[in-house]
Amino acid sequence: MDIDEELELVTPSAKVVGKRPSFVPVDDAHPFDLDAYIASYSGRTAIDKIIFLLPLCPSIAPSAFRRAIELLQHTRDPTIYTHLVNEYDKAQSLSQSLGSPIPAHLDVAPLDSKWIEETLAKNQADKTKLEVELKTYSSNMIKESIRMAHRDLGDFYRATGDYSTALKHYTKSREFCTTSQHVLDMCLSVLELLMEQRNYAHITTYVFKADAALEAAAGGAARNAPSGPTATAQATAAATAAKEKFAADKEKVQTKLDIATAISHLGQGAYEKAANSFLKAGPVKGLEDWATQIIAPGDIAIYGTLCALATFSRSAIKSQLLDNDNFGVYIEQEPYVRELIVAYLNSKFKVVLEILERYSTRHYIDIHLSPHVSSLYTKIRNHALVLYFQPFTSIKLERMSAAFGWTVEYLEQQVVALIQSGDIQGRVDRKDKILKAKETDQRTALFERALKAGQDMQSTNRKLLLRMKLQQAELIIKAPKGQNAHPNELLVGGRTGICIEYAIVEHE
Amino acid sequence: MSTAGPSTAAPANAPQQLHPIQAILQDIATTNDPIKLNNQLKTLSKDSRENILASLLPGGEDPLNALDPEFNTIGCLWILVARLNSNQTPYPDARIIEQFCKRFKPQHAKHASDKVTALANSIYRIAQASNNLRYALEPLYELVTRYPPTRSHLTTIHPLFLSVCVATQSFQAALPVLLHPIMEIDTSISNITYNDNLQYHYAGGIAFGALKRWKEAEEFFEICVTAPGQAPAAIQLEALKKLTLVQLILYGKALPTPKYTHSTLVRLLKSSPYGTLSRSYPLSVPTLSQLIHKDIETFNNEKNMGLVQQAIERAPRWLISKLTSTYLTLGLDDIAKEVGGITPDEVRTTILRMIELGEINAKISADGTVTFADSQVTVTKAEVDKALLQAQEQSKVLLQLERAMNLNKDYLTKALKHKDDAGWGPDEDLSFMGPGGHPGGWAEESVF
Repeated sequence: MDIDEELELVTPSAKVVGKRPSFVPVDDAHPFDLDAYIASYSGRTAIDKIIFLLPLCPSIAPSAFRRAIELLQHTRDPTIYTHLVNEYDKAQSLSQSLGSPIPAHLDVAPLDSKWIEETLAKNQADKTKLEVELKTYSSNMIKESIRMAHRDLGDFYRATGDYSTALKHYTKSREFCTTSQHVLDMCLSVLELLMEQRNYAHITTYVFKADAALEAAAGGAARNAPSGPTATAQATAAATAAKEKFAADKEKVQTKLDIATAISHLGQGAYEKAANSFLKAGPVKGLEDWATQIIAPGDIAIYGTLCALATFSRSAIKSQLLDNDNFGVYIEQEPYVRELIVAYLNSKFKVVLEILERYSTRHYIDIHLSPHVSSLYTKIRNHALVLYFQPFTSIKLERMSAAFGWTVEYLEQQVVALIQSGDIQGRVDRKDKILKAKETDQRTALFERALKAGQDMQSTNRKLLLRMKLQQAELIIKAPKGQNAHPNELLVGGRTGICIEYAIVEHE
Repeated sequence: MSTAGPSTAAPANAPQQLHPIQAILQDIATTNDPIKLNNQLKTLSKDSRENILASLLPGGEDPLNALDPEFNTIGCLWILVARLNSNQTPYPDARIIEQFCKRFKPQHAKHASDKVTALANSIYRIAQASNNLRYALEPLYELVTRYPPTRSHLTTIHPLFLSVCVATQSFQAALPVLLHPIMEIDTSISNITYNDNLQYHYAGGIAFGALKRWKEAEEFFEICVTAPGQAPAAIQLEALKKLTLVQLILYGKALPTPKYTHSTLVRLLKSSPYGTLSRSYPLSVPTLSQLIHKDIETFNNEKNMGLVQQAIERAPRWLISKLTSTYLTLGLDDIAKEVGGITPDEVRTTILRMIELGEINAKISADGTVTFADSQVTVTKAEVDKALLQAQEQSKVLLQLERAMNLNKDYLTKALKHKDDAGWGPDEDLSFMGPGGHPGGWAEESVF
């Protein structure tokens, strides 16, 4: 699992707290409330989240497992059960190697074989029914019904966990769409599916299609509105109401699309784009059922804030994060996020790092965020270091390390890496442990640059003029006639006399 | 050698039936116009001509002794070439060849440019056949310096001379020629091909490289690599490999090739061991040695191992100068650790050497702490003046070129045809905006 690899990269927090990389702890220093966490999701998403966190936090695995089994009763997919057990076993073996074993899965929650059988039978019946329906509609050539049949089949397969077949039916239904609204519905269903599957690369395609459909739908609505003197006052009022309703709908869909785009960018590691999209998201109510099924408002706050802190400038964070009314509502869901932003803006970087560390468990077990936590943390840390050093011309590393709560050695390592990547314009005095800003003598630098530019220009001119003259004299290398030899074979004879040893060089 | 010889001998023998070579000698001696003479010689029947020219005088005397290279340049040239390519008569005396090369008249010789090329080739061939290439050095040097109208003209003799220099490792001897960059291409004075250009610059690059004049070597290899062509030549690929290595030595990294480089070359290089080396350069010496270990045979076969070795040896320097931009002070031990595969003592010598050469500005204190300071570049007024002068000269050259170009018929027809297209056309405003049009603009800046 690639998550594990990612986790091994988490040197800073691991170093400070002495945390083992292959799992995340849940203790006083890293509080995590499973019930509260799971409560914000429903149905299948909740189970998916639990499956994801099982092997990562063995200490809470039993209660999480129990919870998942309860939730399972309300779904229609018995295959999840095997999956769940597999992951639980992983957690169990991990817990054994840690020395605090947890009970086997059967002891935690017994298997309800009756439920499995019933569900399987019901699924089979439903499937047959839906397929027969589709066949009938297809032979009758009723477009709208065929579309609905495909949609229903898609929903069915999605509920039973057969994502690829579900996707097939959803995309198939597109051929039978008659209005833009239908296309939009189809796109949103596919988007939900893709996000559940964490298939980030494809999300943008469907967002794009949905955008087009949304535009078309808006155009259609405008045309349908009655106009001219014939329209009665009542009709006009109705039309206005319809328009308003439509605008509200549009905003909701737009919010969903923004979120989908943002998740896609996050999934592909484009943090700045992700932050922009998260911050664009409309009010919470626009999420509708997505809020519990796909992404909780609190998640949006966390993703958006982490991405923004990692990539935005200080002023952009203030104007786009804190002064953003819509996003403010999301932030309210996770109070610590606001603390984090405020600490960052007040340059209390030690607090920032502490908060990040405290909630690292929460971040690592997040299904979308997990692979990116370490790189986001690194980026935020680097950003903070650069910001901290900006006003100084020289600073003792000791003081700086106190501000970040790190050891001097560790800080020096970080600073040196940043200097080498060009993010900090400074140099380290290893002996006295001082970081000094680089002073460039602009005048000398200018002279140096000008002289170099002059020389370069001259030699380039010389070379280009020669090249031009060669071309004028038509001394152009041509492939030997009648053979399309590999370039390596061309001209081999031509250099026999010359390719004499670099002997002098070699014997020195 | 007597100049009086032919003039006195010819009238004396006039009434008798002349031996063909005698008749030719007479023509040579009496015709003053080199073009006419050249045409006369050319019109002789082809089969017999070479034989006649190669024959000795009836008395067994060498006709070349009777001619003066300075006054009878064309005649001497024809006879010399015929003799050197004939297997009936013995080769002329080495002294005669040298004399000719030293004294011939370039203005005359250019009317028989193909013969000059033939002469150079023959000298090279004979020297090679007699296993004494060094012998060709002197005459070829004379030819290459005296024949072209200016030292910046490329001739067919250039690549020959350079290959002799490289083959005999007389790199110093090549310097006087190499220091005049080739700027002029004139096919009427010498029947050059694209290969001559490629070979000359390739061999020149090797010579400069062997003398450790990396900057010039880089330029020569680059000219070879970027020569215009529809297909890439093998020699260009070889040049690009050497160019990459030279850049590693010179700059610590490979620079991107100019955009007019043939793309195949760049692609081929990238997938070669050279590409791998330049991508990972500079690392510590042991790491690099391990990296190239499996390709040592390739490097050896392609005769580049010497350069590779030098590049690797220089790696610590690049690593150290990288450290100077990160640290103000650093212990010798720390540096040794960062650079890798090097002892603190070696670090000390390397750093001292770098300070001497002015590559870095640093101090080593008694306790082994190295303090790096910003490199102190001071620009003197004289340097600025010199640079300005150069720039002005350069702009004059460019201006002249611009004017010449504006007179060029091909250019004008093309420019008129594309007048409406953006970016084409006689964009006079633009072309005169350049430094060439405004010497005044430079003068202003020279105030500081």
